[in-house]
Amino acid sequence: MRGVLGAFRELDAAVSAIEALKEKNVGAIRVYTPTPRHELEEAIGAPPSPVRRFTLIGGLLGVTFGYWIAIWVSDYWPLVVGGKPIASWVPYTVFGFEVMVLIGGLSTVVGLLINSRIPRLTMMVGYDPRFSHGDYGIWVECPPEKARTAEDLLREHGAVEVRRER
Amino acid sequence: MATITQPVPARDEPRRPNIATGNVQLPAVKDYEQVDREIVATLHPTVAWFIGLGVAVFFLLIGISAWMYQIYSGLGVAGYNPPVMWGVYIITFVFWIGIGHAGTLISAILYLFRAGFRTTIYRCAEAMTVFAVMTAALFPILHLGRPWKFFWLVPYPNWRYIWPQFKSPLVWDVFAILTYFTISSTFLFIGLIPDIAVLRDRENISPIRKRIFSVLSLGWRNTDNEWRHFARAYLFLAAFSTPLVLSVHSVVSFDFAMALTPGWHTTIFAPYFVAGAIFSGMGMVFTIIIPLRKWFGLRHYVTINHLDAAAKLALFTSLVVGCAYMSEWFVAWFSGNEFEKAFFANRIWGQWWWASAILYTCNMVLPLSLFVQKLRRNAAWLFIISFTINIGMWFERFVIVVPSLSHEFEPWQWTSYRPTWVDYAILCGSFGWFSMWFLLFIKQLPVIAIAEVKEIVPPRLKKQHPHGVDATGRHFEYEADTPGEFA
Repeated sequence: MRGVLGAFRELDAAVSAIEALKEKNVGAIRVYTPTPRHELEEAIGAPPSPVRRFTLIGGLLGVTFGYWIAIWVSDYWPLVVGGKPIASWVPYTVFGFEVMVLIGGLSTVVGLLINSRIPRLTMMVGYDPRFSHGDYGIWVECPPEKARTAEDLLREHGAVEVRRER
Repeated sequence: MATITQPVPARDEPRRPNIATGNVQLPAVKDYEQVDREIVATLHPTVAWFIGLGVAVFFLLIGISAWMYQIYSGLGVAGYNPPVMWGVYIITFVFWIGIGHAGTLISAILYLFRAGFRTTIYRCAEAMTVFAVMTAALFPILHLGRPWKFFWLVPYPNWRYIWPQFKSPLVWDVFAILTYFTISSTFLFIGLIPDIAVLRDRENISPIRKRIFSVLSLGWRNTDNEWRHFARAYLFLAAFSTPLVLSVHSVVSFDFAMALTPGWHTTIFAPYFVAGAIFSGMGMVFTIIIPLRKWFGLRHYVTINHLDAAAKLALFTSLVVGCAYMSEWFVAWFSGNEFEKAFFANRIWGQWWWASAILYTCNMVLPLSLFVQKLRRNAAWLFIISFTINIGMWFERFVIVVPSLSHEFEPWQWTSYRPTWVDYAILCGSFGWFSMWFLLFIKQLPVIAIAEVKEIVPPRLKKQHPHGVDATGRHFEYEADTPGEFA
């Protein structure tokens, strides 16, 4: 992986640089930002996160398992309480709901980890600790012949530092 | 870019902040570096912190000693006297579970409602939730004669081929509380990941700490991809936590409402418990946040406007709780049930009149002072009120548990209840346990969410951009965001 990194102090400068890089189609862009911003999100134009699918599937599995465990156990070890049916769906809704939240919530976290590719044990090319604090970073993954164009664009839009990395 | 229609806050500090937007601006916070510097500075341990931790551990040791004595001698030393077989332990269990609920309200429900005043207090509240649930979960175990058998409540395949009774509210409790603890601690940890990355990336950090923070931050790098998935996951966790908080205390209330005991067997218990839980938790939030903002020098983050907005919420929940008390009275009278009527008369004029008096004074009367704006904006008064709320809510559970059990249907069963030193020691121990975890937390991890505060600090810009809202009521680009709006 090789490309060019530009560090920006100002948000609007970073946004204009992203727009210019996309317009020139220099290469794949990755943006580092200390806090999420709609301006960056709109400039990047990424699709909606697929985490919601993990949530949905986890929630459905959870609610199914919650009802199933309560009904199966009641049938296996039948105890009649208050003349009510062995498998009483009303009280078992507590289990259906709680296990739906539990498995749905944990699946959401799994979705976050898988899609964000974390936990990450190795260093990330182009990352700089300053991007945790206040600066914005734009990493452009491009072949050497396009690196010059990327560097010029980043500087033109106000990057305080531009460097090639690999 | 803000995408939600909302009025533009006035440039000058408004006297009456809107509770919805909560006057989210932090005028004394200028840039992201200041946020990092000031919040990270709170992590340095001080002598006062060590003393506080020592006191907490001391109280915890008192509780542990009493528990050891109880295990050795049997549950009889805890002051149970048939038919009053639930006492301080169950009261304190419900009290601590309730404390946790305000944390989830602030961190999850107010997040979904985009309430601005939540941003700087939610981390404390969420940590409070996790530690309060950890404390509460001890009490059902403390209440067991053989506490090492607690896992029998969990359904697992075993050689005896027996399973828990799934129609029992106690088994519902196990599922509800385990889910609540898991989701709350997950929600807290996920929110902490970007902040731990900030701690990891500091200069002049010891290699050991850097390594620990590197592991805890899961290699977070602040990429747009990470933020995109993070925002979605955080939103869904908040959306799950919102009904969860309602369900957990409803399930706790079913422990009582499913029994035929006078004063318990009523359909109002679920919403009544949920409102009471949030009210008590708001009290504890004030008890924690008001000293913290002073000791940590964070008064420009947790401003008087934030306290004012939170006090309105406490006032509202106090009114809901007051309404529930009156509904209980009305239902007892309107039902025509002699046992119910006799029980409620006993609550006021019987042997426990003083507990009811404390409850009604602390939960219904004193919080009415929060109608006065000057008192809502007075941190010292809020701190005092927070104590009375905590005391009042503990006595609310006392009034629910003890008078009902000591005054059931048959007059020959009527009896008294007196907690012993073991009960009091374990009660103190629970406060020590909670405080110990909280004190450890506040010096290891940020008490204010760094990344979320940065969201509401205006970003550094190269050019002048228009300020205000457009014709559709939306904020222009590059303004400070409404918290949580990214999701």
